[in-house]
Amino acid sequence: MKPSRLHSLVLLVWLALLPAGEALADLVVVVNARNGVAVMTRNEVANIFFGRYRQFFNGVEAQPVDLADSHPDRARFYAALVGKDLSDVNAYWSRQVFSGRMQAPPRVGSTEEVLKWVSSHPGGIGFVDLAKADARVRVVYELVP
Amino acid sequence: MMMRYSAGLSGQDVIISGANMSQNQSTDFFLAAAKKLHLVAALVALVFVGPVGAEEESAFSLHGFGTLGATRTSTADAEFVRDLSQPQGASKHWDGKVDSILGLQASWRLTPDLEAVVQAISHYRYDRSFKPEVSWAYVKYDPTPQVSLRAGRLGTEFFMMADSRQVGYSYLPVRPPGDFFWYLPFSSINGVDAALTVPVGEDVLRGKLYYGISEGNIPLADKQWSLDGSAMIGGYLDYQLGSWLLRASYANIRFNHNMPVDDILRANLPANMVGQARDYLAADNTRSHYYSVGAIYDNGPWQLQIMLNKITQGSRIFQSSSAGYLLAGYRVGPVTPYAGFSWIRSESRAATLNPVIDVIMADAHAHQNTTILGARWDVARNVALKAQWDGIRGEPQSIFPFRNEQPGWTGKMDVFSLTMDFVF
Repeated sequence: MKPSRLHSLVLLVWLALLPAGEALADLVVVVNARNGVAVMTRNEVANIFFGRYRQFFNGVEAQPVDLADSHPDRARFYAALVGKDLSDVNAYWSRQVFSGRMQAPPRVGSTEEVLKWVSSHPGGIGFVDLAKADARVRVVYELVP
Repeated sequence: MMMRYSAGLSGQDVIISGANMSQNQSTDFFLAAAKKLHLVAALVALVFVGPVGAEEESAFSLHGFGTLGATRTSTADAEFVRDLSQPQGASKHWDGKVDSILGLQASWRLTPDLEAVVQAISHYRYDRSFKPEVSWAYVKYDPTPQVSLRAGRLGTEFFMMADSRQVGYSYLPVRPPGDFFWYLPFSSINGVDAALTVPVGEDVLRGKLYYGISEGNIPLADKQWSLDGSAMIGGYLDYQLGSWLLRASYANIRFNHNMPVDDILRANLPANMVGQARDYLAADNTRSHYYSVGAIYDNGPWQLQIMLNKITQGSRIFQSSSAGYLLAGYRVGPVTPYAGFSWIRSESRAATLNPVIDVIMADAHAHQNTTILGARWDVARNVALKAQWDGIRGEPQSIFPFRNEQPGWTGKMDVFSLTMDFVF
């Protein structure tokens, strides 16, 4: 094998191994378009998704929806929001559930299901890729990776 | 509040036939539990025939948690237990019963505001069995996002994290630091609680009040101290400040039974002194107070916990105590190494003129520090492996937290633990 060929092979392998994350758009937090909330802070989002306080500032009860562990957006969301690994998030919820304080938000398998949940619940709130957010929902917080 | 009378008392074996008693008590316990379950089932049924309506979230879910653990220590002079409900502990050989546990929770969301939950656990308990028991069974009603009300069998929240002591997966270390949590006599009450949550800007303030009656037992040599009918009342304030959770809490218990020391008193004292000694050591109708403050920081790879408590005991058979712990962990990929330090100091009461009473009172003494080093490895989704070393360094008189101390007990012990925690 000639050196130039070896080089292109190495380059190909390297490209294949590049993390797909480079190509991903930002995640955003979305609420029901008729909710009336226009913007939220990081702490307000964290309070809702960790069950500390499930109400929007305008009094509407928050109905968060989460993704399944197998969906890559779930790990990205919690890493960007609180810098936590999913194991830490799941450990947190096992404490809340098994101490009897509260149940975790329901989980769905896809972004489309998140959008469906958010648009069909007055207090719906979820997270999706910015490119997937459509007219049914309103973007209230942008996660900086 | 645990005592073992096998040591001391002029070498005499003071363990007296009590095997039948423990059998009867455990039967009573289950009958009582069954009655309570019927009550809860009736409540649930009542709710089901009520306005369930066509809400989309009427759902049943089943979850579980468990730990497979192996524990050994560096000495045969005392046995290490996880909490006071365990009559025997680990010694110089690997022992599976200290940390192993299985729990199952069924929950029904009846309406968006109303939920019924039953949780049962099987672990090594006061009657030396792994008989499953109902740890929680309650109905929870959240009329608004600010208010949460529960009624039924509830977890006790003496201190922060005290109501999840058995859920290894939720903890960073293998088990809650014993110096801090050993003195808690039970983990559930039959009663009610009410929590109120209010936002303070972006922070969250949460307060909770609860009241209930215990029906637990604490093993003492081959006897049990019944906590049945002991009333507990308490409350706490939580303040969530960004990644910090701060808590101040208070609780008290009015005990309903004496410690089972009558046989010991009768065997070692002249008949005319037994009544007097019993009154002196009475626990029945005395009150113990539990105060604590705690802070948890949980952000990015860091986890920090700092807690302090003070317990004042109304009965002379117990010793008031102060304890605390610090714990820090830092996640590196799937592994979180952690280090901690905990301590407990109990105050001995003034000596009496009666050596039998003095020996019994000395059994409540604790004076030790524990250094904790370990690592948690999140090896797969919802499965964690942990390895931990506890270096317990105490006075030889520090016998309260242990079982079956021998005359050679020095107060020093190393504990090695390996666990696999899981949730599903």
